[in-house]
Amino acid sequence: MPRIKMDNYSSDNQMKYILFIILSAISSSVFAQEDLEKLVDLSGPKSEKVTATFKAGNLINLKTTETIHRNELDFRVDHRFGDIAGSNGGGKNFFGLDNSTDIRIGFDYGIRDNLNIGIARAKGATEIRQLYEANVKYRFLEQTIDNRIPVSIAFFGSTTVSAMEASEDQSSAAHFDRFSDRLNYVSQLIIARKFSSDFSFTIVPTYLHRNFTAYNDQNNLFAVGLGGRVKVSNRMALVADYVLPFRQSSKKEYRENVTGQRYYHALGVGLEIETGGHIFHLNFTNATAVQESQFISETNSSWGKGQFRWGFSIARRFSFNKKTKE
Amino acid sequence: MKKINIYFILWFLIGSMEVFAQQNITFTSKDATISFFSSAPLEDIEAKSNLAGSALNISTGDIIFKVKNTSFEFDKKLMQEHFNENYMESDKYPFSEFKGKIEESKKLNDNGNYTLKVSGTLQIHGVNKPYVTLVAFNVKNSVIKTLASFDVRLSDHKITIPSIVGKNIAEVVKVKIDATYKNGQL
Repeated sequence: MPRIKMDNYSSDNQMKYILFIILSAISSSVFAQEDLEKLVDLSGPKSEKVTATFKAGNLINLKTTETIHRNELDFRVDHRFGDIAGSNGGGKNFFGLDNSTDIRIGFDYGIRDNLNIGIARAKGATEIRQLYEANVKYRFLEQTIDNRIPVSIAFFGSTTVSAMEASEDQSSAAHFDRFSDRLNYVSQLIIARKFSSDFSFTIVPTYLHRNFTAYNDQNNLFAVGLGGRVKVSNRMALVADYVLPFRQSSKKEYRENVTGQRYYHALGVGLEIETGGHIFHLNFTNATAVQESQFISETNSSWGKGQFRWGFSIARRFSFNKKTKE
Repeated sequence: MKKINIYFILWFLIGSMEVFAQQNITFTSKDATISFFSSAPLEDIEAKSNLAGSALNISTGDIIFKVKNTSFEFDKKLMQEHFNENYMESDKYPFSEFKGKIEESKKLNDNGNYTLKVSGTLQIHGVNKPYVTLVAFNVKNSVIKTLASFDVRLSDHKITIPSIVGKNIAEVVKVKIDATYKNGQL
């Protein structure tokens, strides 16, 4: 009798008992894993730097905070064609492709991860042509992931010298009396923030000094550039930039009334495509020139009049870092 | 009824003893090295992180590896940027992780060299995949050294290589793990 009772008893409760053990065993093993995870100690720098705020050293017209790394060489070609529409565009010159307004070929070299020097040659798009450029970019502040440093800041400075023959016309910007008349200087503070992995924004206060200008034009000019990048896929992004120069109204009016040269703000929109070591930009901008000393101060063409052009840039990076073997 | 109660008490006792016992047989490694190597026609790619963390428990056999993707260093910094930006998407998936079990882990209580089977789940790029591999262990005076090597197929973890750069990156990457464990606390 008691034996039967025992059997009944166990058949009724054994299941619960086993279930309880299984559940407990599972929960205890889960706890063990969690506890073990707490033991995993990941050392390393606490505030990590934000990388790839922008992908290239340029947006369209503006420079970015990006520098190339130490012992890297960046070869870059910028090309602007002629007007797509308007009186100078259309079918007769294949929407500007038959003309080129400016071509710039440049090399940048990374002395340190945050310090680049560069040289370039540009056709030049305004009165002053045949430009040689020397530049330096120094990124002295880098945004961190924990926002202790909220922005990246770089200084960009360039000097251009024109190699063209001096003009006889005394009112021309190319009327060079002395060698120093051929020199122009650009200083920019590039402030950028990567708001998310898909969106970065930059603001670029700029000071431009031209040793010699056309009659009654400004030698010194302040401007502010604004630019942004929105990722549309893993390797493609939309980029745009805009430069607002602060011209003296009296000089601007004089230039417009006497010489008929109107000034516009440079606006560029484009598509950035990244493929391994190359970065392509396909863009549209009303600026005819590539260099800061020209497109900021002397953009005479207007989007509104159809005076925008197709442009592209190709940047290719080469690394000269030796393989470090242990 | 009484018998069951005794079972419960016994079970709890054993259970708590097990927890107690665990305190002495967890080992941690805070500067484990994880490296990977990809050989492709155009370019060999190699990267290494010395900042991986790991912990193992001899009594349960549990083992955990965790590494921050941004801690991998490449000879070419541009590759490092591409690795984080385009392939690993380190903003979205900052860590790679392995959670698994060591078979016959209790052997590691004694000095000697062992090759034990480790099975578990590898999480890379937010995608989990089961792995089984043989791992060499060397135990000497409460210091455990491990060396493991296994292949990871990029497509298994939804890491896609655009055809334009396909020739530069191999589809299968050899991963090596090198860790030294010392007594950890819990």
